[in-house]
Amino acid sequence: MNTAAGDSYLTDGYTIRSWLLTTDHKRIALLYLGSITVFFFIGGIAAALVRLNLIVPQGLLGSAEAYNRLFTMHGVVMVWFFLVPAVPVTLGNFVIPLMLGARDLAFPRLNLLSWYLFVAGGAITLWALFVGGVDTGWTFYTPLSTAYSKSHVVLAAAGIFVAGFSSIATGLNFIVSIHRLRAPGMTWYKLPVFLWSLYALSVLLVLATPVLAITLLLVMLERIFHIGVFDPAVGGDPLLFQHLFWFYSHPAVYMMILPGFGVVSEIIPAFSRKRIFGYKFVVWASVSIAVISFFVWGHHMFVAGTSIYSAVLFSILSYLVAVPSAIKVFNWLGTMHRGYIHFDAPMLYALGFIGLFTIGGLTGLWLAALAADVHLTQTYFVVAHFHYIMVGGMVSAFFGGLHYWWPKITGRMYPEMWARVAALVMFIGFNLTFFPQFILGYLGMPRRYFSYAPEFQVLNVLSSAGATILAAAYLLPLAYLTWSLVYGDRAPANPWHATGLEWRTPSPPPTANFAQTPIVTEDPYSYQPPGAVPKHG
Amino acid sequence: MASTAVAHDFQYSSPAHQAQTAIAGMWLFLATEVLLFGGLILCWIFSRHANQPGFDAGARETTLWIGTLNTALLVTSSFAYSVGLAFIRAGNARAMIWCLRAAVLLGMVFLALKFGLEWHRDFAEHLFPAAPQFKLHGAGQGGARLFFVFYFISTALHGVHMMVGIALVFWIIVRARRGAFSPLYHTPVQAVGLYWSFVDIVWLTLYPLIYLIGRG
Amino acid sequence: MRRAFAKLLGTWLLLLLLGALEFASSFLPLARCWRPLIMLPGVLMILAVAVSFMEVRKGPTIIRAFAAAAAFWLLILLALGSADPLTRIDYRLQTGEEHDATISSPP
Repeated sequence: MNTAAGDSYLTDGYTIRSWLLTTDHKRIALLYLGSITVFFFIGGIAAALVRLNLIVPQGLLGSAEAYNRLFTMHGVVMVWFFLVPAVPVTLGNFVIPLMLGARDLAFPRLNLLSWYLFVAGGAITLWALFVGGVDTGWTFYTPLSTAYSKSHVVLAAAGIFVAGFSSIATGLNFIVSIHRLRAPGMTWYKLPVFLWSLYALSVLLVLATPVLAITLLLVMLERIFHIGVFDPAVGGDPLLFQHLFWFYSHPAVYMMILPGFGVVSEIIPAFSRKRIFGYKFVVWASVSIAVISFFVWGHHMFVAGTSIYSAVLFSILSYLVAVPSAIKVFNWLGTMHRGYIHFDAPMLYALGFIGLFTIGGLTGLWLAALAADVHLTQTYFVVAHFHYIMVGGMVSAFFGGLHYWWPKITGRMYPEMWARVAALVMFIGFNLTFFPQFILGYLGMPRRYFSYAPEFQVLNVLSSAGATILAAAYLLPLAYLTWSLVYGDRAPANPWHATGLEWRTPSPPPTANFAQTPIVTEDPYSYQPPGAVPKHG
Repeated sequence: MASTAVAHDFQYSSPAHQAQTAIAGMWLFLATEVLLFGGLILCWIFSRHANQPGFDAGARETTLWIGTLNTALLVTSSFAYSVGLAFIRAGNARAMIWCLRAAVLLGMVFLALKFGLEWHRDFAEHLFPAAPQFKLHGAGQGGARLFFVFYFISTALHGVHMMVGIALVFWIIVRARRGAFSPLYHTPVQAVGLYWSFVDIVWLTLYPLIYLIGRG
Repeated sequence: MRRAFAKLLGTWLLLLLLGALEFASSFLPLARCWRPLIMLPGVLMILAVAVSFMEVRKGPTIIRAFAAAAAFWLLILLALGSADPLTRIDYRLQTGEEHDATISSPP
C-alpha cells in the first residue's frame, strides 16, 4: 500500500472488495457514515409521521396502534442506530488514530467486524419494524413487552442485541488504542479533549452495553418461554427490567452526548483561536460524567413504584452528575471570552450546541427533583428535555464535527454560505419544534398518546410546523455535502489553521496516515493570536 | 495486530508493546463479561429477595455432588492451563500441549456432567420452569420456578462460554503443534488462558448461588 | 519452571481447600438472609485465580485498572440495584397459602 503523491486512502483501491474488506479506519468510518445516514433518515421519517399525526387533536393517522409503532420505530432507530454510534463510529473512527499519531486503531479487523455487526443488527431491527413494528416504545417496559404486546418484540430485541456487540467492540478498540498507541511525547495531558471524551464514552460502551445484552436476552426468553422473571404472578418483578434497562440506558444518553462535548471542545478553541479554558477541568469533568452517569439510573423510575429511599438516593446523585456538565459549559464560554471568533459553520453548530444543551440540561434538573418529577414525568416536558439535549445538542455537534473534519475526510471544502444557512435554519426549526413541547408538558399533555385534548392544538401545530423546517434543514447538508464531493474546492491540509496532529496530514490523508510517526512536544490547543504563524511543534 | 507488515514499526514501539496491548484488550473484554453476568446476578438477588422460601426450596432440588465435582474439575482445568503457560515460558512446547489437552479434557468432562447428566436429570424430574408440569407446588412454586429460570439461563450462558473456550484452547493446541509458540512469543496462549480462567471465575460465582446458599 | 510450578500447585491446593471450606460452611445453620455470606470463601477463590492463574499483578498497570473497574462497576450494579427491592414495601396478593413449596406426588 505505497502511496505516491496525490494518492490518498480514497484512491487506494477502487473495488467493492477493497471497501467491504477494508481494515483502514478511515474507510470503515465512511462505511459507517453511509449506514448511519440511512438510519437517520428512517428515524426522521418516523418522526415526521408522528408530528403529522399530532396536527389534529384526534390524531390524523386515526390509529393508536400505528402511532405506537411509529414512535417506537423513531426511538429505537434514533437511539441505537444513530445517536449512540454517530460521532464515535464516523468522526471517532476517522480522527482518533490521526489525533494519536498512529497508523490505525489497535485492532483494525475488530473494527471491521464492528461495522458488520452494526449492519446486521440494523438489518434485523429494520426487518422487525417493517414487518409490522413494535408498539412498546424504545424502552420495552415489561410486562407489556413480555406478556401483552402483539408486536415483533423478539425480533427487534434481537437486532439491538447484535448491534450492542458492535458498540462493545468499538469501545474496546478505542480504549486500548488511546492507552497504547499515543505518539511519542503525547502524554495524557497532551491529549486533545476529543480523545478524552471518546475515552470516557468508550468506558460507558464497554461496561453498560453488556447489561443491555443480558436484559434483552431475558426479555426474549420471557416472551418466548414465559420464564417469569418479570411476571408478578410467578414472583417476578417488572421493575427488575426497568433497573436493568436503565442501568444501561442512562449511561447510554451520556454515550450520546460525551462525543458531542468532545467535538464542541475541538471546534470552540479552533474558531476562537484560543486555547481551551481550564483543560484539566474539562478533562476530569468528562471522566467524572462517565463514572457518575452509572449511579443515577433510578431517576427514570421515580413514579414506577421503587422504594422512596432509593428514589431519594438517585435524585441526589442525579444532581451530582449535572455539575461536571455545567463546568464544561463555563469552560467553553471561558475559551471564547477574549478570543477571535470566526462564525464559520462548525462554530455556528457549536454555539447552537452550547445554548440548546444548557436549556436541555437545566430542565433535567427539574426532572431530577422528586416533587417536580411527579407532575412532569411522562409528559411532553420530558420529551422536550431530552430532545433539547439529543437533537439540539448531539445532532448539532454531529453536524458541527462533520463540517469541521469534512475537508480532512473528503479533501473538499463544503460551500460555507449554504452551511451557515443550514445551521441557522436548523436552530430555528429545532426551537420551533421543541420549545412548545416544554409548555405542553407543563400544561399536562401526556407523551406517547396519539390524540390529545383540543386546547393543546395550537402548540402542537407550531411544533409540527417546526418539524417541517427542521426536516428541510437536515436535507440541506445532504444536498450540499454531496455536491461538494464533486464540485467543492480542494481542501488544504489545514483549512482552519487548527492545532492537532490530524491537521498535519494531507486532506484526504494517505492510507498510512503519517509518513513518519510525529513527535509531540506542545500542549494541545497552542493557538497563537492572528498574524502569528501557527506553531505545530 | 497492525494492518500491514509495513506498519509494524509505526503502530507499536516493540513486540513487547504489541503483546501487552493484546493482553490489555483481553482483560477489557473480560470486564465486559463481568457486567454481562452481573445482570443475571441482580436477577438472582431480586428473585430470591421476593420469594425466599420458594427460591431456596428450588435450590434444594439441585444435584450437589455434580455441582461440587464440577467446581473441582474447573479449578483443576484452570490450574492445568496455567502450568501449560509456565511450560511454554520455559521453552517446553510439548509439555504445554499436554497440559492444554488436560485442561480441555477436564472442560469436556464438566460439560458432559452438566449437560449430559445433570440437565438430563433436571428435565426428568420436571424442574424445567417453563414446562407445564413443574415438580414443586404450593405458595412457593413461583419462587422455585424463578430459581430454575436463573439456574438454566446461567448454566446455559456459562456453558456457551465454556464451549467457546474449548474451541479456543483447541486452536492454541493446533498452532502449538505447528511450532507457533516459543518463550519469546506466546501471547495467544496467555490471552486464551485469561479467558479460560475467567470462565472458571464465573463458575466459582455461580456455584454458591446455585448449590449452596439455598440449601439451609 | 520448578518455582513457577510450585506456586501454581500451591494455588490449586488453596483453591481446593477454600472450596471445601465453602462447601462445609453451607451446612451451617445460618438464617436465610445471612446465607449469602457463604460466598466469602468463594470470593477468596476468585481472587486466588485472578492473582495466580491470571497474573493480574504482573503486566502493565492498565490490566489492574480494567480488573478493578469490572469489580467496582459490578458492585455498583448490585448495590444500587438492590437498594430498591431491599428497602421497598411489597404489597403481596393474598393467595391464602402460607407454606413453602412442596413436592407433589410423583407424576
